[in-house]
Amino acid sequence: MKTSAVVSDSIGPNPSTMGEEKAAALDSIRRAQSGDVDAFELLYREYAGRVYALCLRLKAGDTSDATELMQDVFIKAWRRLETFRGECAFSSWLHRLAVNTMLENARGDNRRIARVLPMDDTSRLAGAARSSGIDLKMDMEDAIASLPKGARLAFVLHDVEGYQHQEIAEQLSVSVGTVKAQLHRARRLLRERLER
Amino acid sequence: MTHDVIRHLLGDYVTGELPEDARAPVADHIAACAICAAEVESLKSILARAADLPRSIDPPAEAWANIRAAIERDEKAVGAQRVRSSAGFWRRPYVLAAAAVVLVLLSSGGTAMYMRARAGDGDPSRSASMNPGAATPASLAAFTIEENNYLRNVAVLQDLLDQQESLLAPETVAQLKASLRTIDEAILEARNALARDPANKMLIEMLSGTYRQKVDLLRRTAEMTRGS
Repeated sequence: MKTSAVVSDSIGPNPSTMGEEKAAALDSIRRAQSGDVDAFELLYREYAGRVYALCLRLKAGDTSDATELMQDVFIKAWRRLETFRGECAFSSWLHRLAVNTMLENARGDNRRIARVLPMDDTSRLAGAARSSGIDLKMDMEDAIASLPKGARLAFVLHDVEGYQHQEIAEQLSVSVGTVKAQLHRARRLLRERLER
Repeated sequence: MTHDVIRHLLGDYVTGELPEDARAPVADHIAACAICAAEVESLKSILARAADLPRSIDPPAEAWANIRAAIERDEKAVGAQRVRSSAGFWRRPYVLAAAAVVLVLLSSGGTAMYMRARAGDGDPSRSASMNPGAATPASLAAFTIEENNYLRNVAVLQDLLDQQESLLAPETVAQLKASLRTIDEAILEARNALARDPANKMLIEMLSGTYRQKVDLLRRTAEMTRGS
C-alpha cells in the first residue's frame, strides 16, 4: 500500500499478507475450504461490513445493487474458496473479487456501465448509512457517488481503499496513466462539488 | 517545471507518491505559488475526508440468508450432478455390458466349466479368438483382425439361433434380444470411442471383452437350444 503522509494510517486498509490475518479467521478459512458453511458464515460476519462498504461506493450508493453485488461476491468466494492460497490477506482477496465481480457484471450489462448518477440522485448511500446507524460524512459520500464511473472507481480504490496506481490499472485493465488521469479528474470534481 | 506541469503532480505530491527527486522542485513551487498552495490544502482536505469515511457498513440483515440459500442450492446442484454423472456412467451401454460380463463371469462358473468341457468338440464356431480367456489384442491393428473373427463367429451363431428361436420360450428370446441390444449399443459406443482414441488400450480391452461377451451369450443360448 502507498506511503502517503496524509492517508497512510487510515487508508491502508487490508492486512497485506495471510500472516496478518486473525488466527480465528484462518481457522474459519480452512474449515470453509473443506465445505463447512457455518465457518463460511463466520467469515461473512467478519468481512461483510467492509465488502458492503466497498460495494456501496462502487455502486454509487445504490443499496439494492450494492447488496446484490456483495451477495455475488460471497457466493463466488464460496465457489472459489479452494483457490485461496493465502498469498494475500483474505480481505484483499475478497476486495479484489468484489471489484472483478462488479466489472464482470458491468460487462454483462452495458446499461450499468453507462449509468452515472446525477448529483440530485445520490441520497441512497445516506439512507444506507443512516439505517446502519453510522454517522457518515454524507456530503462526501454523495459527492463520490456523483462522480463519473471511471473517476469514482479510481477514487474509491485509490483514495478510499488504498490501492496503488499499478494495482488499480491491473484490476481495471487500463494503463497507469489512465488511472492517474481519472484520479485527477475525480479529485477536481470532488473539490468543485464539496467546496461550493 | 512550469506551473501547469506541477499542478498535475500535486496529487502524487500530497499522497507521497511523487518520486523523491521531483519533490523538491514541486515544494519550491508550492511555496511560491498561492494557487498551487491552495490546491494542496484542498487536496489534503479531500483525502482526509476520504480517509475519514467508515471502513465498514452493515449490510442488510437478509443478505446472509440469501447467500446461504444460494450456497445450498449450489451444493444440491453439485450433488445432483454427481449423482447424474454417476448414474450416467452406469447407463452407458459399454459400462452396462462390462458389468454384465462381470455378472456373467460371477454367476456362470458352472456354465463356463461346462463350456470349457465342450471346447474342441468340433463346433465350427469355436476359435481361439472367441475364448473368453483369450489375451486382449495389444493394438488397434491386432484388434481389427480379431474383430473380423468375432464378427464372422457372431454371424454364424446368429444364423443358428434365428433358425432355432422357436425352440426357446418367448420370455427367453425377449431377454436374449434385450441383452444383445445392450451389448450392440455397447459395441457401437466403444467402437466410436476407439475411433476417436485409437491408442487407448482400455477401450480395446473393453471392446474386445464386449465382443467376447456377445459371442459367449450367443453360444450359450445355442447350447440351450441343443439341450431343449
